[in-house]
Amino acid sequence: MATAGGRAAGTASRALGRGGGTTLPGIVARYVEPRIAGALAAQLMNGCVLVSGTNGKTTTTRLISAILSASGRRVVHNRAGANLMSGVTTALLNTRGDTGLFEIDEATLPAAVAELRPRLVLCLNLFRDQLDRYGELNTLGAKWGAALAQLAPEATVLLNADDPLVASLGCELSSHVEYFGLDSPGHALPSMQHAADSIYCPRCGSLLDFGAVYYGHLGHYQCTGCGFERPAPNFAATDVRLGLDSPTRFKLGGMELETSLPGLYNVYNVLAAAAAGTILGVDPEMVAGTVKDFAGAFGRTETVEIEGKRLRLLLAKNPVGFNEIIRTLELDPAPLQVYIALNDRTADGEDVSWIWDVDLEQLAGRCDTVVVGGTRAEDMAVRLKYAGFPPSSLSLAADHVEAVRHLLAGTPAGGTAYAVPTYTAMLDLRRALAATGAVRQFWED
Amino acid sequence: MVTSRDNVTLTLAWLYPDSMSIYGDRGNIIALTRRAEWRGIGVNVWRLPKGERLDRVPDLVMFGGGQDREQRLIESDFLELKGEVLRQAIEQDVPVLAVCGGFQLLGHGYRDADGTSIQGLGVLDAETVAPRAKDKRCIGNIVVSTDLGGELVGFENHGGRTTLGPGAKPLGRVRKGFGNNGQDGTEGARYRNCFGTYMHGSLLPKNPWFADYLLEQALRRKYGPDVRLEPLEDSLELRAHKAAIALA
Repeated sequence: MATAGGRAAGTASRALGRGGGTTLPGIVARYVEPRIAGALAAQLMNGCVLVSGTNGKTTTTRLISAILSASGRRVVHNRAGANLMSGVTTALLNTRGDTGLFEIDEATLPAAVAELRPRLVLCLNLFRDQLDRYGELNTLGAKWGAALAQLAPEATVLLNADDPLVASLGCELSSHVEYFGLDSPGHALPSMQHAADSIYCPRCGSLLDFGAVYYGHLGHYQCTGCGFERPAPNFAATDVRLGLDSPTRFKLGGMELETSLPGLYNVYNVLAAAAAGTILGVDPEMVAGTVKDFAGAFGRTETVEIEGKRLRLLLAKNPVGFNEIIRTLELDPAPLQVYIALNDRTADGEDVSWIWDVDLEQLAGRCDTVVVGGTRAEDMAVRLKYAGFPPSSLSLAADHVEAVRHLLAGTPAGGTAYAVPTYTAMLDLRRALAATGAVRQFWED
Repeated sequence: MVTSRDNVTLTLAWLYPDSMSIYGDRGNIIALTRRAEWRGIGVNVWRLPKGERLDRVPDLVMFGGGQDREQRLIESDFLELKGEVLRQAIEQDVPVLAVCGGFQLLGHGYRDADGTSIQGLGVLDAETVAPRAKDKRCIGNIVVSTDLGGELVGFENHGGRTTLGPGAKPLGRVRKGFGNNGQDGTEGARYRNCFGTYMHGSLLPKNPWFADYLLEQALRRKYGPDVRLEPLEDSLELRAHKAAIALA
């Protein structure tokens, strides 16, 4: 009854043009039968895998999905990024398969662990994202710890060794714990970025001593008080070589991994996905082959061709993520054409103060054309002015289509322009591009 | 007027730049520094993390907000290594801007629901209590009218409810939003040139008149009462100010 009602709601939602019906069926079914997700998940032969964290969960989950599918598993996956329990339930209602794979919103992870009883939980990172939604970072960390402590002893928890708050969760668990991390001192930053969140020990509150910082507060650290330190990773990325138009390459044990996803943050995503694939028993060669063929998750790192020019979309959700995009843009030797679209809707974070924690100063003097747009375009324009961009070089666009047109007009034939939108701005921009036929609607892919 | 020929510099003390800087508080430092530099005035930013002593009176002080945990971690450091000189500075009319957690710590302190409390410096006559179980956090855009020369627009996000005593005046009256406690219409607190507020956003970049007010007070204190700042080309800032008010 709950199942039938939910599926009917999905069909109705699509028919009414109210989006792809990625959450409504789940909402309806959960109203009729609150325990439906757990009941459906229990029928999956290979159990469930959950992926959570502030940055990279959509990309990482899609990578794992590709790896598991390549190995012949039939994956039930909330692909469209509907990562609350309603979206998970919708995916369980709509797809038959043998393995559940769910991207989970950070605040929803405790409920998802309790309902779905996963066999593997992957915790990517915890950054300050939208405090107006989640409350405080340490409180969220404590809730994760309490939820993971309820896992069955045979379950595995895969944690980021380089994130002190995430890594500290492994100390108290009775289930099997594995760690992934970067061993690549050559990519360490010269100093801690201002946007770093977790500089005090999550266990005792003393200052952490960082021997290397890769981005945000991710790195190699040791507590100056209680001696808590970065656990040695079971899965360590070494010999990292970053590319932008050429692929990024690194080694993981005996595996040579190659990816078209740019930036050090995507090295973490690929590393985490390869580690998860390995833990789930996929052959290393198949993992490496799948990673190599993987193109970005929608809007995260996606390239579209328009009139013989390339527009690269890079989703910016928070200061740490934006800083990583800036480091990626710095790899492009040409003068940059950049469109920044800042929205302040609920999913973006209604508070735009965070743009002042982004090191936009790094891009001043590197940009040829800069267009700003979104509901908070004016705030971003002021931020750029104070970062050292000449006000005369800044233009405010009335809408996304105008912005892209202006941006591409300044881009040489065969060249690449960059769009850096926040989450809902990315959806709007993608919708605008879809209307021109440049990209597909997101629930179709 | 002050010009670059005068070799004018200000020292800006930034309290806890690493741990009490959660809502883009750095934007306030950037705004003051740039707006001074554009007029040929140098600003030395003096970073004072945990463990560093405020051992002389600076020309300006910025103190941002942090998560509850960070606020507890700096409580004793603040009172022992920074508090007394900060009190002297405030009594000498040094301009101070304290946002959110910093505002609470310049008041008498923060009292939790379970009776534990964080002690503040008490230089602002303001008392903050944790929200009761039925109270929500005060979150959203906020517009405040002041008698200092204009309106302020920002974003507030706080659980604590602050009540002013007779020794403090509010920074302004809430036109949109919650303010100190969502009840009495007051926002922030003022004592001499020390301002506490819940507004970030960041506050100063899109309220350039208030950034200039703080700079001017600092310059007058140091270089004499006749100092006046040259106006700047502020069309982008004013556009952001108006747009933010329209969205509130």
